[in-house]
Amino acid sequence: MKIIEYLSTLDRRIVYLVLATAVMLPLVIPSVQKVRVMTPVAKLFNAVDTIPNDKILIVNIDYDPQTLPEMEPMGVAVLRHAFERRIKVAVLSLYVQPLGLAKKALDQVTEEFNQRANSVADSIIYGRDYVFLGWQPPPIVPLLGMGISISNVYTRDYYGYRTDSLPMMRRIKNFNDVGILVSLSGATAPLWWIAYSQTRFGVAVGAGVTAVSASEFYQYYQTGQFSGLMIGMKGAAEYEELVESRLQLRDRRRASEALGSLTAAHLTMIVFIIIGNVGFLIRRRRDRRSQ
Amino acid sequence: MKRRFPLLLVLIFGILGIVPYYIPHATYQNFDNAMRNDFLRILSAFAIILGLVSLMRVHQDKIKRKRENWQYSYVLIIGFVISGIIGLLGGVEGELFLPTKIAGIQFDIQTLYLNIIVPLGSTMFALLAFFMASAAYRAFRARSIESSLLLAASFVIMIGVLPLADRISTHLPSFAQWIMDIPNVAAKRGITFGIALGGIATSLKIILGIERSWLGGKE
Repeated sequence: MKIIEYLSTLDRRIVYLVLATAVMLPLVIPSVQKVRVMTPVAKLFNAVDTIPNDKILIVNIDYDPQTLPEMEPMGVAVLRHAFERRIKVAVLSLYVQPLGLAKKALDQVTEEFNQRANSVADSIIYGRDYVFLGWQPPPIVPLLGMGISISNVYTRDYYGYRTDSLPMMRRIKNFNDVGILVSLSGATAPLWWIAYSQTRFGVAVGAGVTAVSASEFYQYYQTGQFSGLMIGMKGAAEYEELVESRLQLRDRRRASEALGSLTAAHLTMIVFIIIGNVGFLIRRRRDRRSQ
Repeated sequence: MKRRFPLLLVLIFGILGIVPYYIPHATYQNFDNAMRNDFLRILSAFAIILGLVSLMRVHQDKIKRKRENWQYSYVLIIGFVISGIIGLLGGVEGELFLPTKIAGIQFDIQTLYLNIIVPLGSTMFALLAFFMASAAYRAFRARSIESSLLLAASFVIMIGVLPLADRISTHLPSFAQWIMDIPNVAAKRGITFGIALGGIATSLKIILGIERSWLGGKE
């Protein structure tokens, strides 16, 4: 009994230390964890996979450094999928902060593909296979303006080239030429694409969001407004699993590697909650008896 | 006039924002597009400048009056000036005329962002896990039937999203998904309807000038 009482009144520094150890140990020797792919992620994968040749994929990268570890694997997995399938990609951000991270993800994936390429045809080339549209404030401008003309909203891309001069963008006018828009955000950006762009122009929207905000998004997935949904590190790992199993791409899977750490963290928290509750129930019973 | 003019602006632009959803005619759609694409962008550019000037004034004032934690305002102003100079004269990736690489050390905006802002931001957010663990350990108690149900559901979700869940039972991930798909959506949809209706009512009150607290000062 004394042990239980002691455990249920642990100093918070001990809680921190145990959690830090549990989170860090699996990261020292990362190993890929196999996951079962759930329907929301499978639907998103299929929506991207079936984009017709004459349409493009728009990836809206709107995560910031705070949510980077959870969100970046999603962006990387979606870009790998699109480039492997030779789907044309346009990347943009609604805010300025995520621009650097969007570029980081793009640079990483294009480098992976170009290192393996044997010819120009195999390579992923800027302007031909993808464009980086950058950022146009305020967000309502691209959300609604792209339904009429993408190159009018983004007259110049991130690098300063005229958007309509890029080979890929010559035949792309507006949302009618977009297969699906995948919005990756630690906040509510995916909901804006639904509220403004989908409601008015009918563009298909998929989303990747943090686990902590997931409950906000399920209702829109259930109604079919989101074509698919990736939730947190697990969602990213499921998409990585599909990219590897269906496309035979064997690049580093950061989300699948992080699942070991996630498992340890969740189990540690569950154990602490159980210990806290056992101590609480013992104390409550003792108090009732003494009364 | 000082109060009527902003109210008139809100009335006009509020209605202009609603109407394009109901008038699909090309003439009106083009007008709406021009308003949003040109007018709104110009306004937004001014708002950014206004925001930056205001930020500087607030922190200058804080230093002048030696308000609480005034020393940190120096960090902000110095960071603002340095990154402003590097960004404006050196470009995001050092493509402009200011050299952003000295003795092998790169300090263009993208490098500074990836090596200072990203680790700092990630570290701050990661600390949340420790506070959450500590708070859950101390406060997440099965005091009543409702809190016991919440506790049970949270355990199912926490375990259900792990790769381990499949090894415990193949039904566990599906059950976790069901909780998110059905009871969670039912509750969330009710809340969303409430928020949406409240939002519409408040927006109409602002557009029609009934709600005026945003103007500041006395009613």
